[in-house]
This record gives sequence, structure tokens and C-alpha cells, in this order.
Amino acid sequence: MSEKSHALPKAKIARSYLTWFIWLIPVAAVGLCVFFVVRDVIFKGPTITIYFQSADGLEQENSPIKYRGANIGQIHGMKLTPDKQFVAVTAKLDYTAREFARQGTEFWMVQPEVKVGSIKGLRTIVSGNYITLEPGHGPPTNEFVALAEAPVEPVKAVEFTLLMDDLGSLQKQTAIFYRGVQVGEVLDFRLSDDSKHVLVHARIREEYAPLLRVNSKFWNAGGINFHFGLLSGAEISAESAQTVVSGGIAFATPPDYGDAATNGAVFQLNDKEDDEWKKWNPAIPLHGVPEAQKEKSSLPQVNSK
Amino acid sequence: MDKVVACQTCGLVQGVDDVPEGCVAKCARCNFQIFHRRISSRSRTLAYSIAAAILYFPSNFYPLVTAFYQGQHTQTTIFQGIRSLWHDGQYFISGLVFCTSIFTPALKIIGLIFITLTLDWNGGKKARTWIYKIIRIIDPWNMLEVFLLAIGVGVIEMGQVATIHPGRGVFSFAAVVVLTLLATLSFDSRLLWDSPAERKHYQ
Repeated sequence: MSEKSHALPKAKIARSYLTWFIWLIPVAAVGLCVFFVVRDVIFKGPTITIYFQSADGLEQENSPIKYRGANIGQIHGMKLTPDKQFVAVTAKLDYTAREFARQGTEFWMVQPEVKVGSIKGLRTIVSGNYITLEPGHGPPTNEFVALAEAPVEPVKAVEFTLLMDDLGSLQKQTAIFYRGVQVGEVLDFRLSDDSKHVLVHARIREEYAPLLRVNSKFWNAGGINFHFGLLSGAEISAESAQTVVSGGIAFATPPDYGDAATNGAVFQLNDKEDDEWKKWNPAIPLHGVPEAQKEKSSLPQVNSK
Repeated sequence: MDKVVACQTCGLVQGVDDVPEGCVAKCARCNFQIFHRRISSRSRTLAYSIAAAILYFPSNFYPLVTAFYQGQHTQTTIFQGIRSLWHDGQYFISGLVFCTSIFTPALKIIGLIFITLTLDWNGGKKARTWIYKIIRIIDPWNMLEVFLLAIGVGVIEMGQVATIHPGRGVFSFAAVVVLTLLATLSFDSRLLWDSPAERKHYQ
């Protein structure tokens, strides 16, 4: 037996580190776990509570919070507050979005909205409702009260009140036109204290503010004006395609225009325009493009370092 | 002590001298590693099992699947999936998934660690053998989910309406599958009935 095996070729003996390397596998596993824990514990965004009047359309667990279209957080759960007046929605913000958990940040729900004249959030029919926000700059906080609807984008503007007898088709955000160009919008409306009028709170954006004078005339430009005369035949006119569906307000300023209207001015809103107003054609210098609009169109600043 | 060993790769029958600690024998012809018994079977099995045990936690804790269905962004861990199957009345499938992806991997990992750690005990030889038998039986049933997931990702890609992505837990889950597989492969069952002297030589 022994002689026979000596005739056989001999296997080589070489050092092997594999037995030692094998213990690197559990070490790597521990490393991976540590990595997971570090990522989840250290890079953990804040958990916030948002109080909604109604959270209808939000998913108990998975509705996202988006800012400028990017997902920055997710709903964790929702429950009624003890007084049953609100729904407390708890949500987790991403680490990158932790700065949004500040006082003054406004949250609201985006849902499909088919109002006359404005169709919004159509994507949410398929994708489900989500929460979005407008960042604030106050001290950090974790509790917020949601807005009932999307806030009107705050811009510098002259705000004034229109008096009218009947609201008609006007709504929040109904456009205000000057020569067919949208220069402002309706912010809000309510009945006057003696309930004889409707008070419409509206604004003209700053860049167009010089157009609005104390003796300007407003009229309801909504819908289609349909005139039928025996001699003139039928005549159909509309301010713009948008006003046909959403209603609108137009105004004109006479050539002998007065002082520029200031915040809080009150105007009468007429049902129909006067033919004379249409002929008014005063030359009013505008301020030019406002700073805010310039900023918006500029490219994001890239750090060149 | 000389041994005659046939190379498992090229079949050359050759003599192998005693292999000192930290060394391996290599075939005279094809240079592949040759062995009479699996090398350092015990420590390898233990290392793989411990690694699998460590990764078992993230694989169950983190979502395995991220699904976008009708706009809902759903992250599902294995356990949540089992629970929702159970609530849907799919008791059999729910039980099957629980067994294959939570129960048996845990059983296997614990079993292997127990066997390798208690090899030197005099008692319990029968228990160890039984545990090993059970492990061999449940082996093929382990971790069907990764394959299910692979199929699911391929089938359910419907753009805006529904998509499935592997979640964060899937890497550790797959790692547990591979590690438990390697652990059973590297375990030399002869260690179970070796005499203490033999075991010392081969482990």
C-alpha cells in the first residue's frame, strides 16, 4: 500500500488564507447592518403632524408629500383628534426636507379639481391625492394645521374691493383682464354686512397697478354676450375663450385718468360694458418687468467652485 | 499519514501528505484544490450561518417590494405581505410564504449554528443528526420570494398605473438565501459522527 502510493504523483501543498477570509463575511454582514442603521437613524427626517379638516382621499399609509413635484415625505398614519374636529395626519419628511418643518410652512392637499374654467391636479385621479406645501421660515415645529385649499400665490399687488349685486359665475381666482390681458384675479368674496351686495376681494398685480385708476370702470366679462337685433342680426362676443367657461372681470380706464388706485379701493362692478368704455385708450406707462418675475426665469445658481 | 485522493476536477489519483494548519493541497496536474474531507467545514459553516443570522434582521425589517399601484406607493415587508394575504383569506398561501421565507430560514440558521457550536459535546449526538436531517428536508423550500419577485418585476411593469421595484430589504434577503445555501453546502455531515480525535483533525 505504502509503496504503491509512492509511485503516485504528489499533491502540492500551498498556503491558503481562505479559512481566515471566511470570517470577513460575518464582519461584512455586520458592516451592512451598521450602514442601514446609520442611514436610518442619523439621516432621519422629522416626523410631523398635520391637522386636516378632512383627509378624504389621502391613503392611510402611503400618500406622498411633494414639493415642486418631488417626493419629500410620506404619510405614516392618520387618526381623529380626541375632539373629533380634525384628522391628525402623521407624516415623515425626508432628511433633505427637514428644513420644511418650520412654523409658517403651509400644507394643503392636492386633489383632482374640475371647476368651471380650471382643471387642476388631473394626475391625482390616477396617482391618488397628495400633500404639498409652501415653506415657511419660522422656528422649527412639528405640528401644522392644513389649509382647506391651495393658497393663492402671494405676489405684490394692489388689492381692492368690487361691489356687485350678484356673484354670477365668479369664483376665487377668476381672472381680471385689461384689453384681454390677465392682470389680476379674484382672491375671495363674501356677502356685505347688510347682505345687499356681494363684496369681491381682488387684486391687480404690481406690474399692472398703474392701469388701475380711481375712475376706472369694471364690468363682468364672463360668458358669451349674445345680442339679437332686428336690423343688426345676431352678434356673439366674448372676452376670451377662458372667460366663456370661467367668467371674468374686465376693466377700462378713461383717458382723463385720475390718481392710481391704492390698496382698499372700492369699485362698482357693472353687469355689462358701456360701448364708450371700449373706446377709451389712455397711454399709461407701466413699471416694466417686476423683479420677482426676473428671478423666476433665471437659471438656478450653480456653485462654480 | 499519507492518503490517496482523486482530484475532483481532473480525476488524477495522487498521494497527499499531511496538510499543515493554514495550508491546502493542490492537484499536481490541474492545480485545483483537492481534499479528502471538506476543509475547515465547521468554521465555514459557522461563519456563513452567523452572517446569515445577522442579515436575517434587515431582510425582514426593510421592505422587500416597493409597489406603485393606482398611485399608491406601497412598501411591503415580508411580514406585512403575509398578514395581508391572511386577511384576504388566502390562508394556505399565507402559511406557505410564512414557512418558506420566515420560519424555515430561521430554523435553518439556528439549527446550523447549534450543530456547529455543540459538536464537541458528548451528548446530543442524535439530536444533532435529527436537526441536520430536518435542515436537509426543508432546504429546497427556502426563499422562494426572490424568484417570485423576479417574475413579478418582469410581469408588472405598467408605467403610471402599476410598477414594482425591489425594495431596500431585497439585497439582504438575497444575501440570506445565498449564505444559508453556502452554509449547508460547506457543512460536512461526517462531523456529526466523527470521534472526538477525528473531529479535531478535520474540523
